[in-house]
Amino acid sequence: MKLELCDIQKSFGEKQVLQGVSFTAQSGQAFGLLGRNGAGKTTSIRILMDVFPPDSGAVHVDGQPIDYKKMKIGYLPEERGLYPKKLIIDQLVYFALLKGMRQKAAVAAVDYWLERLDMTEYRNRRLDTLSKGNQQKIQLITALAHDPHIVILDEPFSGLDPVNAILLKDVVKEQVAKGKIVLFSSHQMHYIEEFCENIAILRDGRVTLTGSLHDIKRGYVRDRLVVYTEAPGVIRQDFGERCSVLADGGLMIQLEDPGEKQVMMRRLVETYEIDGMQIYEPSLNDIFVQYAGDADQKGGR
Amino acid sequence: MIYLSSTLETRIRKGDDKMNQFKNILHFELKYYLKNKVFVGVTVFLILLIAVVMFFPRISAVIQFDKQSDTAQDRPVMLVKLEEEEQEQEQTIQEAFSAAFPGYDVQCTDADTQAIAEQITAGDAECAFVLTSPTSCSYYTQSLSMYDSNTTVAETVLQNLYRMDAMIGSGLPAQTAGEILNTEIHSDVVNLGKDQFQNYFYTYIMIFALYMVMVLYGQMVATNVAAEKSSRAMEVLITSARPTSMMFGKVVASCAAGLLQLIAVFGSAFLFYNINQFYWEDNAIVQSIFNIPGDLLLYMLVFFVLGFFIYAFLYGAIGSTASKVEDINTSVMPLTFFLIIGFVVAIASISSGNVDNTIMTVCSYIPFTSPIAMFARIAMSSTVAWYEIAVSIGILMGSVWGIGLLSAKIYRVGVLMYGTTPKIGSVLKAVWRA
Repeated sequence: MKLELCDIQKSFGEKQVLQGVSFTAQSGQAFGLLGRNGAGKTTSIRILMDVFPPDSGAVHVDGQPIDYKKMKIGYLPEERGLYPKKLIIDQLVYFALLKGMRQKAAVAAVDYWLERLDMTEYRNRRLDTLSKGNQQKIQLITALAHDPHIVILDEPFSGLDPVNAILLKDVVKEQVAKGKIVLFSSHQMHYIEEFCENIAILRDGRVTLTGSLHDIKRGYVRDRLVVYTEAPGVIRQDFGERCSVLADGGLMIQLEDPGEKQVMMRRLVETYEIDGMQIYEPSLNDIFVQYAGDADQKGGR
Repeated sequence: MIYLSSTLETRIRKGDDKMNQFKNILHFELKYYLKNKVFVGVTVFLILLIAVVMFFPRISAVIQFDKQSDTAQDRPVMLVKLEEEEQEQEQTIQEAFSAAFPGYDVQCTDADTQAIAEQITAGDAECAFVLTSPTSCSYYTQSLSMYDSNTTVAETVLQNLYRMDAMIGSGLPAQTAGEILNTEIHSDVVNLGKDQFQNYFYTYIMIFALYMVMVLYGQMVATNVAAEKSSRAMEVLITSARPTSMMFGKVVASCAAGLLQLIAVFGSAFLFYNINQFYWEDNAIVQSIFNIPGDLLLYMLVFFVLGFFIYAFLYGAIGSTASKVEDINTSVMPLTFFLIIGFVVAIASISSGNVDNTIMTVCSYIPFTSPIAMFARIAMSSTVAWYEIAVSIGILMGSVWGIGLLSAKIYRVGVLMYGTTPKIGSVLKAVWRA
């Protein structure tokens, strides 16, 4: 299954929020939708979910306009919140019913997910008696209980402790393995790098970069080396301006020419006490800053 | 053909989905009301209050029956002081006063006014009549209650005595004079329209109930929507259900809850009245209240449901534009104002006795005021033609449909607007564009 947003345009009043957004997500893969606050991620998601129609453009599944009666979508919004004063089981079943499930199936599905997320003990409690992280797990159930074809998770990891984060990672991987389209939006780049094969970066309502994360990284000119050593002082002295220190303590050496790679590596190993060495690949963080940041204000986030 | 049937099928399925969604929302929202402690508490309180009122005469009758035997002697004392020249009439006057004031122990006295006043102040007597001439008297009392009609009764007694005297004086036999004075005039009223006195009380109560339920439940709908928005449950809701289903589900649920409450309160009042009917026989007002014609109840139901829908839709739409529950009170004010205008105009008109005045006639066609105004006219006026009612109901129904759709649109735009409450103009602009 293939989900495509084709040249979506949308304005609210004078403000054009989306100026031709297109990207493609495949089932069985997680897709990362990135962008700074206000770049148009939430609007794209809402159009994808048919909350309002686009001014122009279309959402396609396998080349056909999406049929919202057949295509079920689960959504964990970034702005979290359900009914604080109501029983957890009541509201979870209610949301499952709204998504078109039958009463019995809804209760069974909700119970399954409560069990799966280790929340069964809170089944008959009021939502506001739970901690923030646990409320978020409850909300995750509203996105998954009706077994949707497309799962949209907006900042799913924010507010989760490391144990719950692992639990959620397992769930996400399981959903991907089940052949669902998982759309992922997050500012925590390491999660995107961990899950997503494909990404799209939005800036001011335009897609500035989209494609396979692997290809994007390979597409960068491989003209930098990262060297790990006990004695960085000597190398820095010898390379001068071509050498800079990375956050993890490694030294990055800028080559004059990508072809120089082999020679330089040999020279480094022979000349200095080297613990480790690799060709520098930009992190998603660097790519994000480059493509999502303001054109005139690089690195500003 | 195959294509046709398949599109038809999807259309039916679409309808089914919407219907299911609506049913689920209705069920969920109605459960919210029925499980709400305040809702249940207020209903039970009202029923208990009505029970106390309706059973009061029965209970007090039982208590009074117990008391009566030993308190016969404890009737308050009424003193009557006669003129010097009329001392020989003491017997007649005392008998006449005793007959006219069965609740008093009437005693004649020769004490001077000073002493009488002291007796009253001391509490030995409750009141006194000092006759200064055959046609004038002074009434002495410690506390003059609002409903004290003793002077009126005494005037009648004295008037009759004076006339009796005069007639006997001019030669009529005492018996003839008595008969003449006791002659009663019978009059029958043949009312071809409606009895405004009889209708007044139940119309007042029904209008008041209509108004209260619309205001209270309308604001509940607004608060309910704003709460969903501020808790961000809306983010999930708006992506799970159609705004029209949500709007209609909420409004129908609150309408059902309001109706249920009305039926519970009025129904129990009716039941309690029937249990205690015997004790209320003397009370014309209470009797008239429970003498509501059946067709008027039906009209009340129609105007209640339609009027409720109009206001609840708009309250819901306004609720959707507020970001915080606290903002609701100020946002709904203009709307509540409409409702108050309708209520005040109707109450003023039925009290003035002219329900068919121009303002009422105009109001009974404006959908914001017609639920109350037209209903008041149907209840109180004899000149409302069937087509006037039909036109009013027709306008209301059309408005419900239009306002329902408009509200659902405002709702869809409004629920995603965060920040400060937007101005009406900008909301409508956004709705127009959406």
